[in-house]
Parts: sequence; C-alpha cells; structure tokens
Amino acid sequence: MNVLDIRNVTKTFGDFAAVDNMSLSVREGEIFGFLGANGAGKSTTIHMVSSLLKATKGDIEILGKNIAKFPRFAKANIGIVPQDLAIYEQLTAYENVRFFAGLYGLRGSLLQERTEEALEFVGLGDKAKSFPKSFSGGMKRRLNIACAIAHRPKLIIMDEPTVGIDPHSRNYILQSVRKLNEMGCTIIYTSHYMEEVEEICTRIAIVDHGKIIAEGTKEQLKAIVTDTKEIWIGVRSEEGVGIEALRSIPGIVSARIDDGMIKLQSKAEINNLNEIIQQLIRSRADIRSVEEQAPNLESVFLTLTGRNLRD
Amino acid sequence: MRNDWLWLVRKNLTLILRDRKSGLLHLILPIAGVLLSLLLYGNTNSGTLHIGIANNDGDVSIAADAADYLSRLEKVEVTMLDEAKLKEKIASREIDSGVVFPAGFSEKLKHGEAPAADIVSIRGAQVTAYVGAMLNEYLGNTAAIAQTSASNPELFDRLYEDFAHSGYQVSSKTLRDSSGKKDVTYQAIGFLILFMLTSSYSLTEFMSKERENRTFLRMMSSPVSSRIYVLANVTVNAIVLAVQIVLTLIFMEVVLGIDAGVPFGELTAILFLFALAAIGLSLLIVSFSSSNAASAALSNLVITPTCLLSGCFFPTDIMPDAVRRISSFLPQRWLLDSLDKLQGGERLSDLPLNLAILVAFAAAFALIAAYRLSRKDNTGQFV
Repeated sequence: MNVLDIRNVTKTFGDFAAVDNMSLSVREGEIFGFLGANGAGKSTTIHMVSSLLKATKGDIEILGKNIAKFPRFAKANIGIVPQDLAIYEQLTAYENVRFFAGLYGLRGSLLQERTEEALEFVGLGDKAKSFPKSFSGGMKRRLNIACAIAHRPKLIIMDEPTVGIDPHSRNYILQSVRKLNEMGCTIIYTSHYMEEVEEICTRIAIVDHGKIIAEGTKEQLKAIVTDTKEIWIGVRSEEGVGIEALRSIPGIVSARIDDGMIKLQSKAEINNLNEIIQQLIRSRADIRSVEEQAPNLESVFLTLTGRNLRD
Repeated sequence: MRNDWLWLVRKNLTLILRDRKSGLLHLILPIAGVLLSLLLYGNTNSGTLHIGIANNDGDVSIAADAADYLSRLEKVEVTMLDEAKLKEKIASREIDSGVVFPAGFSEKLKHGEAPAADIVSIRGAQVTAYVGAMLNEYLGNTAAIAQTSASNPELFDRLYEDFAHSGYQVSSKTLRDSSGKKDVTYQAIGFLILFMLTSSYSLTEFMSKERENRTFLRMMSSPVSSRIYVLANVTVNAIVLAVQIVLTLIFMEVVLGIDAGVPFGELTAILFLFALAAIGLSLLIVSFSSSNAASAALSNLVITPTCLLSGCFFPTDIMPDAVRRISSFLPQRWLLDSLDKLQGGERLSDLPLNLAILVAFAAAFALIAAYRLSRKDNTGQFV
C-alpha cells in the first residue's frame, strides 16, 4: 500500500514552476530519501504534502485519501520534523511535546503517556522539566523530533534533521529514524549528507528543477552511472595542486578538492590515470594515495544534475 | 474545533504569563500612564480660572465691557492677549480657557444679531461651559437691551450705559469642581489608548514571531486550521486588553481616588469596544507586513501618529480644522469623544452613533485583515 501518492503535481509562483508535473509514490514501511540541491523543489513538495501549500495542479493522496478533500485526515497522519527548530523556548521539553501532540486531539492520560513516550524515545526523558535554552543543539534537534512523533503519525517527514549537530546526536537521530521505521512508520528523509541517505534510505528520488529525474533503490541509482568513474587522490597539501590543469585532461568530467582529497570524475572508457599523475607531479603535489571509487550517490547526483548536492 | 481553539488560547496565555516583559507592557505601563497624568494634571485645580481674552473689536466696545465683567467675577483671572498668543498659552496650559471676540462683534449685537465669540479650552467641556454661561449672562442682557431699543441707537446707548454701570451682584456658592479629576481621567484614558494599541499590536505580532520561529508551520501542518489559530490569538488579545482596562480603571478609581465622572461599567464597556477596534487595527498591520521587522515599522508609523492626531496627548480643540477633520477617521477620536460626552452627563445609550462607529472600525479592520491573510499563498504567511 502507498502511504503517499503524488500525481502530476505542479506548483507555480507567478511564472515560476517550483514543482513541475511531479509524480511520486512512497510505499508503507519505506525510508524514502528525497534528494535535491537548494531550490530544486524539495521543500515546496514537502509543504504541499503537509498541506502548508496548495498544489496549482495535480493530486496528492495520503493513505489513499486526497489531501484537498480530507485535509484533517491527512494532517493527522503526518508528522513533520522541520529543518529549522520549531519549538518554544519558554515552554519546557515536556510542555513543548504535550502542546504539539495536543493539536492532534490527544488529551488526558493518553496525552501524558504519549508525551513521556516521545521524550523517552529521543533520550530526553530525564530533561522533561528543562527549558530548551539549556539544551545543546543536538538535544534541541531531538526535541524537535519528539514534537513530531508523539501523536504516532503513519508518515514522518524529516527535513534535514541532522544539520549542524555533533556526531553523537547525529548517530542518535539516525538510530531513531531506523527505530521509528521498525515500529511501522514510513519516513521521508531529506538531507545534504549523501552518506546518511545512502546508509538509511531504502529508496531514493532525486529532484531537480521541480522534476523527479531519477528514482529507485541506491543500487538502481548507482547502476545509472556506468559511463563515468570516480578517482580519488589523497595529497598532503592542497596548495598548488592545479585543479584547473586537472580539469583540462581529456576525459575528466569534473574535479574538486575536499579536505586533502582530489575527487575526479572521468569518462569510464578513457584511461587517463597516467596523465593525471604526471600533472600532479609537475605541480609538485605530494601524493599519498590513489584509488578508484565505486559509484556512490554523490557521483550519481553529480552525473544527473551536473552539480554537487551542496551547491 | 472548540478544543483546538481552547488549546491554543491556553498555550498563548501560558507564554504571556511566563514573559516578564509582557507583564510590564500590558499591565504596568498603563498604570504608569495614569500616574503620569496625575502628575501632569493633578495639581491644576487651584480654584482660580485663568481666562485669556483676545478682543479684536476694539477697546471701547461691548466686547471690552464683557471682558471687564468676566475679570470682576470671583475666582476668575483675565489676561488680555492677541489671538496668536492666546492659542499659544492655551496649548502650553498657562491659561485654562480663551475667548476671542471678532471684529464687529459689538455692532452686530447692537443691531439685534447674535454674534459668536469663540471659546476655547483644553481643560474639558466644563470649563468652556462655565465661561460660556458667564459670558451669556452679560451678553444675553445686552442682547435684550438691543431688542428692546428696536434699532434705536440712542435708546440702546442710554439703556446699555445704565446696565453697564449699574452695580450687579454675583453671589457665589462653592461647589465641588471635578474638572481637574476629569482632566486627569481624560489624559489617563489617552495614555491607556496608546498602551492598548501597543499591547494589541504586541500580542498580534506574536503571530509574526511564530511564523519566523517556524512553530506556526508546525501548527499549520497539524489539523488546526489557520482560522482557529487567528481566532485564538484574537481571543487572547481581547482577554489581555480586558484585564488591562479593568486593572487600570480600578487603580485609577480605587487606589488613586480619581473620579472619572463616568460609571465604571460604562467606561469599561466603551473601552472594550475600542479594544476590539485596536485588535482589528493590529491584525491589519500584521496582514500588510511581510516580516516581523516590517510590521514593527508599520506599527510605529500608525500607532503614535494616530494617537497624536486624535487627541490622546492633547485635546483636538487646539488643532487646526483640517487635522480635526482627519481625526474623525480614527477610532481613538470616537472613543475620546464618547468619554467627553459621558463625562458631560450623557449615558452610553445616548451615544449610538459613537458606539456604531467604533464597532464599524473594528469590523472593517478585521474584514480587510481577514481578506489579506486569506490571499497569502506562501508557507511564510498565514493561510
């Protein structure tokens, strides 16, 4: 059964189509990765699914019911974890979760039970009476999640839930996503961190210019990239590497340097490794390692959109 | 629906109660305004009425005799001034009231016409009425002589000479003069209007803040509708303003002992009616703003200037006619006008026009705001 069906949805702002005739389905029990650079149409799509925006054209269904006709039903079955923290600093952690869960009609002992449960789930059970201003960034992110899950939604939409937090909290959140999924929740997950998406998502859609340009499991997506290869060369110093010179080598599609690692994408049929090494020797780069990478989501994204996810 | 509304009202009240600054803004500042009014006007009731007279009719005239008559009244001190100086001294409150005799005043009176002398005051209707009554006493007799002499100038001069130089007795009786306290009340209500508008805006701005801190988006992705959300904000706004009105009036009447000259219930009712217009206006400001900073700038542009124009800080009597006409388009003016009339002895039931205009302001502001808010199709906005 599909938890979410988006059919031929378009959203325009004046003459600009933020989402352009998009169709997409998310099946029950999936962790669905939604990838796209800034301005690709990801947030607009999420806002339409959560009824914050009305689609200009097309239909969106949650659990088989059209959200335009049954908005309360749709909203009651969705939990949103927004990218920006959406909590009240003047309310305690308990009061925050309780208030947002109460918006879904929960009251009395059930509300109390679900609130405590959600706080325990994100590891803030012992901080229930504390105010968010005393929390670290990671704890606030976890509270942000608790506020979205206390009413036990069928579909949870997580928009960049790990932005700007420490590795410990990040791991905690990723574990929580898996645990929620095991408990029966379907999750739509957006992130700039490809490794996160690769690690937890069962199916992924790549959106660009308001359209879905690729959709499938990570293996299916990687299979798209058969005509390029990824070469990673470790250097001791990034100074004087001569990235422009590397780009001019025949077959090179893209070249960038990231934390002491030169990442080159090259046409698969051209053997240009010798020229690359010679160029680096000419520029007196101190080479530490050379390895050919198997295609990953980042290279898939780059191949399909011509840009990095973080552009 | 009702549950959602109550849930949001409860949350908003909790947030307000936890914010010390809001307590200061909503409750302490209006009381400080009353104290300030008391400080400014509390000691003005010395018992002597200072009247400035601008006589444009010449020194030897009935107007000059009328001025002389006023100067001989008990507890009245008359200063002869030119018209410009007179207005200046009224504005600076150096004199309580001013009388302007226009040129040709005496001639018109002699010929049985009823010329008008302008009486100006910023001390409220009672001072104007007192000066008017005293002047009418003298001029009324003169007018009667003019009618009796039937356009016979010699007869008029003879009769008027006898009247003007006959000894007349004015017996005075001490009555409790409440004009001073009413001035304090008027000024305190003027300040209260400003604080009501500021409070109302601050409470409505809450919606802009929630929009910016994204809690609004979280609420809108829940089954709660945007209409219920706005209704809950309006409810909390009305509750806070009602508490503000009642506390300020109680402080004024019970703690400071200022008799407003209007029954407590009627004053509260008319102020609450204005509170609805204030809420409508603040919704309008927020609906026309794209961000919190924009709405703050717009509120600064709207609230203080309209309070100035409508007479919250000084009476409109001293303002030019054009400004007075503009103030008729402001709800503050109609509240102050109602207060003036209520202090003059009228009842709330005698003021259907004022009440209807205040309700109309509230309804018009709210409808325009509702229309504006419903047209926004953007997640940063309300609907």
